[in-house]
Amino acid sequence: MPHAIRLHEITKSYGEFKAVDRFSLEVERGTVFGLLGPNGAGKTTLIKILTTLMRPTHGDAFVEEFSILTAGKSVRRVIGVVPQENNLDRYLTARENLALHGRLHGLRPAAYNRRIDELLEMTGLTSRQNDFPDTFSGGMQRRLVVARALVHEPRVLFLDEPTTGLDPQSRRALWEYVRGLRRNMTVFLTTHYMDEADALCDRIMIMDHGVCLADGTAAELKDAFSRAHVYQVEFRRDSDRYEGMLAGLSFVRSVERSGSSFQITLSDEESIKPLMDCLGGADIRRICLKEPSLEEVFISLTGEKLRE
Amino acid sequence: MFKGAFSIWGRDMMVLRRSIFSELVAVIAYPLTLYLAFGFGLKGYISEVNGVPYPLFIAPGLISMTAINAAFDESSWSMWFHRRVQRTIEEYRVTPITVYDIVIGKIFSGFSQGAVKGSVVFLVILLLTPFRIDYGHLPVYLMCIAISSMTFSCLGTICGTVIDKPENIGRVQSVVIVPLIFMAGIFFPLSSYPASIRPFIELLPTTAVFEGARDALLQGSVPAPYLLNLIATAAVSFLVAVYTFDRKMAE
Repeated sequence: MPHAIRLHEITKSYGEFKAVDRFSLEVERGTVFGLLGPNGAGKTTLIKILTTLMRPTHGDAFVEEFSILTAGKSVRRVIGVVPQENNLDRYLTARENLALHGRLHGLRPAAYNRRIDELLEMTGLTSRQNDFPDTFSGGMQRRLVVARALVHEPRVLFLDEPTTGLDPQSRRALWEYVRGLRRNMTVFLTTHYMDEADALCDRIMIMDHGVCLADGTAAELKDAFSRAHVYQVEFRRDSDRYEGMLAGLSFVRSVERSGSSFQITLSDEESIKPLMDCLGGADIRRICLKEPSLEEVFISLTGEKLRE
Repeated sequence: MFKGAFSIWGRDMMVLRRSIFSELVAVIAYPLTLYLAFGFGLKGYISEVNGVPYPLFIAPGLISMTAINAAFDESSWSMWFHRRVQRTIEEYRVTPITVYDIVIGKIFSGFSQGAVKGSVVFLVILLLTPFRIDYGHLPVYLMCIAISSMTFSCLGTICGTVIDKPENIGRVQSVVIVPLIFMAGIFFPLSSYPASIRPFIELLPTTAVFEGARDALLQGSVPAPYLLNLIATAAVSFLVAVYTFDRKMAE
């Protein structure tokens, strides 16, 4: 399948510091690609490079086969961008914001007015089209920014943390729009929310310190990082006695208790047999291997330490 | 070519149209106060300067001052606001237009605001003054206002591009723009300056703006040194504004 986005050894340096380091990537057309990473991982830098807002120090990238270095105008013609912050024009109405975007893309009123009607309908903003964005809720402003990015019918849509700060209803509404878009375009998404990546993305890449740490579907990542040594055990009775016993076992690395349920981390996969031997006579309601969540995969790759 | 600049200019003019009345009231109040205070208040003490009635002597400068102040204000604050607060410059930059479209659009918006507001103050002063001017001189005078507005729109664009803190734009206005305006002989003839200082004052772009405007309105022509100064300053400031914005966007 042809690639909508190709990055070839992209590096962005600020003196000695490398925000992105020899980063290569290919994103297939018609897919939703999710880029995850903690603050300062280099996600926004990559989006800025791909949308021609920033030039890389080394390397080149191609969007729909147009080089960001030599064909920036052509790149911008085929992309739509939803930035991290709502950069709506507060002195223009919702409709005027969309119309200005259409004009900046060289569209004629006959073309962009029809499209704006469709987008306002799709985002549920038709009745507010003549109001100023300052009077909108955060979710409505976000929907308007998404609508604006779609006025010129881009082939690649960049969404930089599109649901940050939104309430759960607005987040899910936005997810629905994005799901609907994947039929017609490639979506490149960055997010902090693992559930968002899990729900939306066909492919996920986790990056930190400017380099790729893991790449695959959500299921592949979970599978690759699942280790058969974290178990959940629930006892019917005598939970207190078992807590002490489990904590004293040499092959048990940690025990976390929640009521009568325990999450037991063993030192290795082979420790399950001695554990079962020790629990032989226990009245167990449930025992199961714990599957890692995408968040746990993310934390295991990027660490728990807070970033500045 | 420059369709993007035209779209941005069109956006700014639409926003201006919406608030034209309050904008004009605010813009007219200041020069009109000066005109009434100096032109009429001092009329009894200074009846004429170089054979010109004092209210008529200061009127062309006040009109030009309105135009260049409006051009500088619009360009600097608008550029700063769109770059730092609304971040709409970033939205413009992910469309197929170029950075030249953006900066030229913004410069023309400042120029247009200056021209519109200067013209309105001109009309108001014309209604208030007991004398009449030769309307044949108007085209040269309007050309002077246009070039001056362009220059100060470019200077405003440079400030709005390089200055990140809003209070510093205010400081530039009070430390650079206002002294340049008041030193340039709006209210008094340049002959008042000591002979040793005068050559420097005559080189100021604001001197060319105000002296040139006065000569244009009263005599129908701009002295060649002032005209050259006006054109050269406008051209240089335009190039510097475009270059500065281009560099800033490349950072």
